[in-house]
Amino acid sequence: MNSRLSTWIILGLTLTFLIGPFLIIIAAALSAGNNLAFPPQGLSLKWFIKVFEVESFRASFGVSMFLAIFGTLAALVLGVPAAYAMTRYRVPGAETVKLIVSSPIIVPGIIVGLALLQYFVIPIGAGIGPALFLAHTALILPYAVRVVSASMENLRVDMEEAALLLGCTRFGAFRRVVLPNIRGGLLAAFILGFVTSFNQVPVSLFLSGPGLRTLPIDMIAYMEINYDPSVAALSALLAFMSVGIVFAAERFIGLSRYV
Amino acid sequence: MFENRAIGLALVLPAAIFAAALFLLPVGILLSEAFRTDTGWSVSAYGEFFASSRNQTVFFRTLKLASLVAGVSAVVGYAAAFAIVNLPASSRGRMFGLVTLPLMISPVARTYAWLVILGRTGFVNKFLVDLGITDTPLRILFTETAVFIGLLQLFLPLMIISLVSAMENMPRDAVPAARILGANWLQVFWRVILPLTREGLVIGGTLVFTGSMTAYITPAILGGSKVLMLETLLYQRVTVANDFVSASVIAMILITMSFSANLLLKRLATARKSR
Amino acid sequence: MKTLVLAGASTLALTAAAMAADKTLTISVYSFSQDEFKELVYDPFEEICGCEIVVETGNSIERLSKIEANKDAPVIDMAVLSTHDALGAARKGLLQPIDTSKLSNFDKLYDIAKDPLGDSMGVGYTFYATSIAYRSDKVTVESWADLLSPELAGNVALPDITTNQGPPALYMIGKALGDTDSSLTAPIDAVAEKADDIVTFYVRSSQLAQLMQQEEIWAAPVGRFAWGSFKDNGLPMAWAEPKEGQTGGMNVMVMTANNGNEDLALQFMDFWLSTEIQTALANALIDSPANAEVVVSDDIAANLTYGAETVDQLHLLDPATILDMRESWLEQWNAKVMK
Repeated sequence: MNSRLSTWIILGLTLTFLIGPFLIIIAAALSAGNNLAFPPQGLSLKWFIKVFEVESFRASFGVSMFLAIFGTLAALVLGVPAAYAMTRYRVPGAETVKLIVSSPIIVPGIIVGLALLQYFVIPIGAGIGPALFLAHTALILPYAVRVVSASMENLRVDMEEAALLLGCTRFGAFRRVVLPNIRGGLLAAFILGFVTSFNQVPVSLFLSGPGLRTLPIDMIAYMEINYDPSVAALSALLAFMSVGIVFAAERFIGLSRYV
Repeated sequence: MFENRAIGLALVLPAAIFAAALFLLPVGILLSEAFRTDTGWSVSAYGEFFASSRNQTVFFRTLKLASLVAGVSAVVGYAAAFAIVNLPASSRGRMFGLVTLPLMISPVARTYAWLVILGRTGFVNKFLVDLGITDTPLRILFTETAVFIGLLQLFLPLMIISLVSAMENMPRDAVPAARILGANWLQVFWRVILPLTREGLVIGGTLVFTGSMTAYITPAILGGSKVLMLETLLYQRVTVANDFVSASVIAMILITMSFSANLLLKRLATARKSR
Repeated sequence: MKTLVLAGASTLALTAAAMAADKTLTISVYSFSQDEFKELVYDPFEEICGCEIVVETGNSIERLSKIEANKDAPVIDMAVLSTHDALGAARKGLLQPIDTSKLSNFDKLYDIAKDPLGDSMGVGYTFYATSIAYRSDKVTVESWADLLSPELAGNVALPDITTNQGPPALYMIGKALGDTDSSLTAPIDAVAEKADDIVTFYVRSSQLAQLMQQEEIWAAPVGRFAWGSFKDNGLPMAWAEPKEGQTGGMNVMVMTANNGNEDLALQFMDFWLSTEIQTALANALIDSPANAEVVVSDDIAANLTYGAETVDQLHLLDPATILDMRESWLEQWNAKVMK
């Protein structure tokens, strides 16, 4: 058998399975009819417009954006010093610390959400909003630490030592030498954290309250009641957003080097 | 490397305390829930959980589906990874990007797509009826098949990534050499490719297996209440019956699984470094 | 983008704000027809009271467990629940009696809606019949037993035992099979035997709209309140009038204990029970009125559970029975149907 041909057949089938569903979703979203169907009944952009008119989508999009941006920033604020310490200092019990910090990745999200609701939000009376924020921060923390550590490991320590010898303070050396050199790593960590948080469902499942829902949870609730193509349109828009961000990141910083 | 331990500790502490307070503590209390009884500590909740035939069904269904998804994605993954590695360098990166693309897209959107495709008036059924393979549309949604398809699409990219990186580290001439020596493709795979990529297979396999075990959206949307898996059962027990004991038992099962998988990965990674 | 993020931030801060500003009313309702409720009930009320209404949606039992979880610091001020869930909540001490003397519309209610739980723990605001919605081009449904008939095999959804529709529907299937024992053993056995023929056991009635539309199912037992979401879906739909009769239920408004927002909650309840609002909800085919002064056209009445006589004819399960038997039903269900 022609091995080139079989190569392309295998890849064609795999890609059809992996990406085909999106193409169908996009096509269905372009339908002019009122029901979700493929092939679409006529062409129109009305469902894409409808997405922006659904009030709950706007509110939950805002919530998800806020969580993804500020949750990731908070995770970086906590994670960058930790990553710096772990690559530059002999930290007592470094292995334990690493395990603790990376634990949010190991525990399934639904358990995190439930545990936070039951044993944090309710006893403390903290409210769902702050809990959601803290949960997303915790969830992103492992990624932030891992990606930033990796890029710090690639940075030679003697550059910092040189800066110290030349009279910089420790913090000055960090700010002037380390930070500019790990910019790519920071951005990569931010993007990874953003996408992770934005697409997160299980953690937010229990952490939703009156008037407060993340976008994916809202989508699930909406599609249960309305079987129209607007969820397809929203899915397509979100897919474009994620892919666009990742593509741009790959272009400008070579995201895959960091992840 | 700087020697000042105090500064180092001061820098890691916020992150560690944050993760411990918000994470380990609440999750720990949840896990202890199944061991606490009115009279003291006991493991009887585990016995009771597994005594229920429904819980047994859900447990074994979860194991079965996760293993199936891992197994099938290994077979498909090998074919796809081998094809990718054999592409010319220019298109290899692009193909790799396309394969990993779905990982960036919301799982809700991905699952929703299957709801449309696998439905009774969906694409797959239309195709099957038009081809005359079946007269009446098949019932695919809310079956294990639907959940299996959804999970496979969700996690196959992870397997391909692991296998591609493993194959890229394979000696370039290994396969052609074996072919010249007269080995058929099955022998090449069994004697050359598999031993050289075992590590990638184990890594990909654990990622896919634990991912499938702990997925929520796919079984929730494509399976519904008839095809419960451990995560959907947990959600149901809590929301319907306020049953934190079952939730705690399920949490322990899932965490134990993920944790051992993770440990296994770490073991493998260190073994590679020391070699 | 910036405004959206700000909007997100303000929503996140909302729980805190809700406690600070006393002019916020937090209600917990079914997820059904929320767009219409907003237009017909919430928005007009917000204008009158100058307050903000925050809405939590979900099925009875999900929302109930949240109320229970938050009982020490109630988030929800008033909720609407099924009679048996409300009774359960009252027994657990999650509710307080409603001061009906402050409800100007109280005397207009049908008698059975006035105090269905005892001790003024709840006020009925709507009734619904539960029967079988089906595709008239595919099958005819004349009996509850038809749900398990070969014609519907692989094309029917049943309510999960944990939902409000579950026990009444099973009870009616039992009646069709000639066994009306409240243990529900006969109907559960019958469903278990045909479990493979049932597409899914739904947990929220709102799901059915999608299942019907997608032609996953041709028939399902459903409350009349959901009828509006099927009847115009472009498919030939019919509402069965089974020979065993229809079942149904009543939904009640309840006041959570110690919420500190009792006056506003009472004002909202009174508004919802008023002839004007009950008429508007009836005309939109959302909720059948509990207010006896509501008058609607025959056309509308035909699509509702309207009038005292109709309500009297429904085979309703006693809320206390549901509450007391629920554990045993669930046990049988899990052992036989979900195994």
